[in-house]
Amino acid sequence: MNQAVISCLHANLPAVEAVLKDIELQGITNITCLGDLVGYGPQPNEVIELIKEKKIATCQGCWDEDVVDGLDACDCSYPSQIAERRGHFAHQWTTEKLTKENKDFLANLPYSIRKDECLFVHGSPNSQHEYLLPDMDAFAALERVENAKAEILFCGHTHQPYIRELANGSISVKVKNSGSKDIQKKEMNLPMRRIVNAGSVGEPRHGGTKATYVVYNDITNDVKIREVEYDIELTCKAIINAGLPPIFAWRLKNGFEFAERAEDASHFCER
Amino acid sequence: MIERWALISGLKGDLDTYELIQKDLKKTPGNITLFVLGDMIGPEKNCNKLLHRLINPKSNDLQPWCIYGWWEEQILLESGYRGNQRAEALRINKGEEVVKSLINAVDKSFLDWIAALQFGFVELDCGLIHGSSKDVGDDLTLDTPPLTLLDRLTRLQVNRLFTARSTQQFHLELTEGILNSEVHDLTGNHKKEQKVPQKAVIGVGAGKNYTLYDVGTDNTQFVRAGYQSEKKKNGFGLHF
Repeated sequence: MNQAVISCLHANLPAVEAVLKDIELQGITNITCLGDLVGYGPQPNEVIELIKEKKIATCQGCWDEDVVDGLDACDCSYPSQIAERRGHFAHQWTTEKLTKENKDFLANLPYSIRKDECLFVHGSPNSQHEYLLPDMDAFAALERVENAKAEILFCGHTHQPYIRELANGSISVKVKNSGSKDIQKKEMNLPMRRIVNAGSVGEPRHGGTKATYVVYNDITNDVKIREVEYDIELTCKAIINAGLPPIFAWRLKNGFEFAERAEDASHFCER
Repeated sequence: MIERWALISGLKGDLDTYELIQKDLKKTPGNITLFVLGDMIGPEKNCNKLLHRLINPKSNDLQPWCIYGWWEEQILLESGYRGNQRAEALRINKGEEVVKSLINAVDKSFLDWIAALQFGFVELDCGLIHGSSKDVGDDLTLDTPPLTLLDRLTRLQVNRLFTARSTQQFHLELTEGILNSEVHDLTGNHKKEQKVPQKAVIGVGAGKNYTLYDVGTDNTQFVRAGYQSEKKKNGFGLHF
């Protein structure tokens, strides 16, 4: 059966509506959302209301957590002080706009959702702030899935959709301890695991302007990345009218947003 | 001159053991650097004399290079050095009495020194740390899955990780690691075969059990203070 996985909606209502329509047209009713309902975009309450109305299973993203806890995003995710100031401003703006009910909704979202062999998280099983980029060290990536006791790990946070298969792995282990003179050797075959990044509905960072999400078939194990057009102008106007930084509109319209992309694939937020 | 590292941990206020190790090391050939991988303090005995000695070494002492360990983290938590957090894990697992004993075992005048200690050292391609790069309480043992060990090595970008939290002495080497990675994204398919260079995680022991590491030959030697090393001539794990 097909199921859709969406992530990083970022208060972009036209993008969310277009993606949900695309999902509906495929006859898919099973949807999981990997968080970041708010942040950057101009319609945080509207997006939350829509997710609630559709009863979409959702886990908490880093923006959702930070807005609720009154924290600003950890500065490790910003490559410059200007970017950090913009991020902090967006946090403050979002916090002021959100209703109490919607803050409570975000506060009560789970960190992860497990369905059979699939685990759904925002960043990684370790943290909502950890980036699992596609070129991350393969062994470290495998560790994230294996330690979470999953076969497929669905994540978001990077805004770059990808499907990564980690297979045919092995490693040799030699052990010596103080109580023995012998060296024990063993060969270990590593399990095949997959990481599926759903990209971003509301703030794509894959080099194009279209919203992205993934469709997973739990019978064939097939995963497809979907790209969906939406009314970008509408969102851009709403960003400007809301008084949010105009660069948020510019990067949506131009289809690239490298300014706030984390560069370090193995980076782990220490906050 | 052979360069060696002496790696000790878990003294928990035991000045006698520290003096015994210092005595041992004076007889050990080579140019020795002494690293103290945390848990200098503990709740069992008064730690002030040991702390004073670590901060003010005697003229013939090897200079100790200290990092903080799990017990140091607990006292910093309980003493308000970590914001609003307190040593709740210790309180839940060991009880209020142990928390009180820990606080009473260390004079407050040492807390700033403890708070200024580093989380770990990276020397050459080696990480020296109490637990792991993930957490000071990370308990790496012989039974820790290889993928977890590789992750801890990768986070520090080192080939050798010396850890103390488990209190065990062991040398676990990871070799011949290989893993195929295939990424499919909007630009197409990207295949890569990743190999792991030889890496190792070394448990340095605690208290009287400590480890000597020969930097030039990569040999690890497990030692018990006051006794002959287990394999004095060649050291253990000679071919690692």
